[in-house]
Amino acid sequence: MKLSTVQSDAIQELGNIGAAHAATTLSQMLGSTVQMSVPAIKSIDISELGTYMGEEAAAMVAFELQGEIQHGGYIIFYISKESAIRLTNTMLGLTDMNRAMNEMDESALLEVGNIMVSAFLDATAELLGFIMLPSPPALSLDMAHAAMASLIAQMGEDIDDVLLFSTELVCEEHKIDSDIIMLPETATLARIVELMENMMKGI
Amino acid sequence: MDLIRTMSEQSPPSGQTAMIGIGEYRVGSFPMMTIGLGSCIGLTFYDDHLKVGAMVHIMLPDSAGRKDRPGKYADTAIPLLIKELTAMGCKNRSLVAKMAGGASMFEYFGANLNIGERNAGKIRELLKENNIPLIKEEVGGKMGRSVTFLPGNGGKVTIRRADGTTGEL
Repeated sequence: MKLSTVQSDAIQELGNIGAAHAATTLSQMLGSTVQMSVPAIKSIDISELGTYMGEEAAAMVAFELQGEIQHGGYIIFYISKESAIRLTNTMLGLTDMNRAMNEMDESALLEVGNIMVSAFLDATAELLGFIMLPSPPALSLDMAHAAMASLIAQMGEDIDDVLLFSTELVCEEHKIDSDIIMLPETATLARIVELMENMMKGI
Repeated sequence: MDLIRTMSEQSPPSGQTAMIGIGEYRVGSFPMMTIGLGSCIGLTFYDDHLKVGAMVHIMLPDSAGRKDRPGKYADTAIPLLIKELTAMGCKNRSLVAKMAGGASMFEYFGANLNIGERNAGKIRELLKENNIPLIKEEVGGKMGRSVTFLPGNGGKVTIRRADGTTGEL
């Protein structure tokens, strides 16, 4: 689906509101300030996914979007391996950076991902009156490209371009850099755009 | 016989490795690589007489009739690679295949929708139909892999796994 400038502005605004709520929850969990970027919307040909994500180790907590649209796509909490370890360390008051990821990190990531994605989707539901519920979370601690390509492969539609819609959340104090990425199916995107356009027209 | 010129036969600049993205393929004797395979599969064909080969980055088992991106699906990629290699002078009976990938990256989602396994199954079935021996494979599990293919070096295939370990097919 090709987006006009107005549509892509509308989605950006939605991302802003969702990510702001997610950033607030992250900030509370870390007890520190969290900055967020302007949401970026990229339409990427699948053959070029490798230029955005490669072999780097990352944690991805993925949720399927459910609710009004049953298989609506995915929403993902993405964080590099180093940032993920710093995140667990900060939350639990640990200092050792040179350790392997363990079950404690996995639980922390699932929990943080759950809280942030729920905050994101609550905010967008309140704004649009369109309910997107997260499925139980699924975690991958692996090559970023491998995890993302697997999610794209299991989307309902056979697509050649993916719309990646991401907002960066950064905690300077603890050097934690993360992203919330939405990978909507066409039906979800069309519904979001429609509702945002109506809202902006004041309907 | 004139070669059919396609994108896939263009070599990368000398000494460089051709990076093969999702749904892409290349044919030749230069080094080729696919990065970050999850449920996708890196499939290679190699002809030891001519020292040429082909590599494709397959994402899904069935094209359901789609023709515009043949490298993306097992059922369209395999006939295509055979055709391209035949055009370069390879004989069907001298080709051997290897594959890697087909992992299940997310356990929770993986239970009911194992695309990696379906990809591998479809590839095995099609290779058998075309009488191309699958001489080595490393598929399944839940770990990402990057794969390098060296047609100029005996068709050597090396794998780098997400945990940092390496292997050879």
